[in-house]
Amino acid sequence: MAAPVLAVLAMLQFDSVPRPRPVMALAQTLLVNVFVNRVDAWVFNQDWAHAGPSDWGRNLRLGWEWDEDAFGTNMFAHPYHGGLYFNAGRANGLNYFESVPIAFFGSWTWENFGETYRPSLNDWVMTSFGGIALGEMFHRVAATIRDNRATGFDRTIREIGALPLDPMAGFNRLLRGQWKGLGPNPPEHDPGPYVLRVGGGLRFAEGWTTDSGTATMGAVIVDLLYGDPFTQEYRAPFDVFGLRLIVSGGGINVLRGSGRLYQTNLNSSSARFRHVLAVNQRYDYVKNPAQSVGGQSVEIGVNSRLRLGSKGYGLRTSLFGDFVILGAIDAPFTGLGERLYDFGPGVGARGEIALDRHGARFLRTFGQTEFIHSVSGASANHKVGFVGVELNVPIMKGFAIAGHSTLFRRRSTYTDGTPDDKRNYTEARLLLIWTQAGFGP
Amino acid sequence: MRAIAWAGILTLVAHGLSAQDRPKRSGLWGEIAPGVGHVRLACSGCPDVETNNGVTSQFRIGGTITRRVLIGFETFSLTDNPLTVKNPGESSAETGTLAIIMMWYPGKTGLFFKGGVGAAFGDFIFFQSDSTQADTSEGGGMGLTFGMGWDWPISRKFAITANLATYVTALGDVVLPTRRVDDLIATMYQVSVGFTFR
Repeated sequence: MAAPVLAVLAMLQFDSVPRPRPVMALAQTLLVNVFVNRVDAWVFNQDWAHAGPSDWGRNLRLGWEWDEDAFGTNMFAHPYHGGLYFNAGRANGLNYFESVPIAFFGSWTWENFGETYRPSLNDWVMTSFGGIALGEMFHRVAATIRDNRATGFDRTIREIGALPLDPMAGFNRLLRGQWKGLGPNPPEHDPGPYVLRVGGGLRFAEGWTTDSGTATMGAVIVDLLYGDPFTQEYRAPFDVFGLRLIVSGGGINVLRGSGRLYQTNLNSSSARFRHVLAVNQRYDYVKNPAQSVGGQSVEIGVNSRLRLGSKGYGLRTSLFGDFVILGAIDAPFTGLGERLYDFGPGVGARGEIALDRHGARFLRTFGQTEFIHSVSGASANHKVGFVGVELNVPIMKGFAIAGHSTLFRRRSTYTDGTPDDKRNYTEARLLLIWTQAGFGP
Repeated sequence: MRAIAWAGILTLVAHGLSAQDRPKRSGLWGEIAPGVGHVRLACSGCPDVETNNGVTSQFRIGGTITRRVLIGFETFSLTDNPLTVKNPGESSAETGTLAIIMMWYPGKTGLFFKGGVGAAFGDFIFFQSDSTQADTSEGGGMGLTFGMGWDWPISRKFAITANLATYVTALGDVVLPTRRVDDLIATMYQVSVGFTFR
């Protein structure tokens, strides 16, 4: 079934001049759904994948419910899947806003027609909003990795390296013969100013499980600052974003990203002390033995930078308030069925003070607090917050020793008489960091 | 009287068709739109869903980001009381959504698409099966809205707007003295005709 569809899509791909192809984007979204469903049905023989017209009719009639999938499935795998839908739009010439409906369409069709289960509201929200955020960030990073002017082995490695981040663009480029063809790069290829930090080292955590002492484990961290809000005027969503990935203990512990949707100057762009008002879309995923928390948010606030001297130093501050469209958090007595966490909307705030040189922060203090009102799971309200400090000390060109310390606090209150729950834990990291920066003076 | 009203509506529509090349919503704009709706209530562990018809009200106000993209606030409410006679064992719902919305006009016509997210509220009345008494509860949570519509300009400053929209609201647990409804989701479908100033 997929082969003829693929053949038609391949034929249609080559009739093109560069222009938006919304029909092609929608078709590829459906193709992703058919492919994933058939693999689950034929290869993995999953009962839930054998959905037919009677299931579709029932799903459309009964509508939304909440599912019981694991935290990692709902909060990371589904947003990644949503990124495929979103990037079907981006890979076919649609811009950010034009690709947003593609993500919602792809997730809605999967929820109603891809499974025997009733459509899951949390899946639709996480897949769509998370897919938009992760999809746009991955689209831009993948475009930076690829280089349409490269040739030979370098070119092939770049195309393959970008594939896990943006497989839809890789698929489209393969069909269009762009894995080898030479040409100009898209604007996203050059982020302008950027800071990439990759590090590894040790992580120390207290209070991860009851009665445990200090746990020590390895950790790998990737920090990316793509663009800079003070050197680049707003052009398009996510032309400036920050992304942090921490892998530790055999899996992803942290994946957090925030990209600007809109920005305007609050004072002169040549002022020594600058202020910009920004609206950001945020994706949060934190999972470790002590807690699981994440969600999709929109935040509004002010970024400021005070220029210090003439050697590129500066003091940066950020103060943002946020609206959590849908968050997820685990706590005692929470969840639904086999699910061990609650879903709910919320509000929060975050702040940061940092010293930087050419955009690369070398001393940073930060704090964040979020309130989540459960609408699926326990009758509960959850408050979670953390404060921390991070210091980078250069030891040679491009390398630094970094020390991170973070204190997490959380409190859950229940409206059904269940006793309140409070939990704290601290974490420290000692890392060797390699920094690649592209900031100008 | 009815003939005069119909004549007036037809005149407005005809006038609107000839005025479609005029600017759409720009600067500060607002819209008020009464309508009718259908609500579907679902909950965790419930074997089936309950559906009711109702009346809706909607108010939007906002500004312009680009010629084709608008941003605004929208309030929406639905009550199924006026149109539905309740029997013992059935329920009645009043729901409201306050959302930030984006509206997108893809072409030169009045066609637009809408999407938004915000907070939702609900009041529920459950009529007991063994008496004429009723239990009431309320909840709050998350609201999403998606829809489409058409602006028919009737002058430089005013337009008639047709709307077709869906609202999905997650309202959490509804706790009653005699029963508990877990993880309620109310899905509304709305058809309305609005009056827009722009």
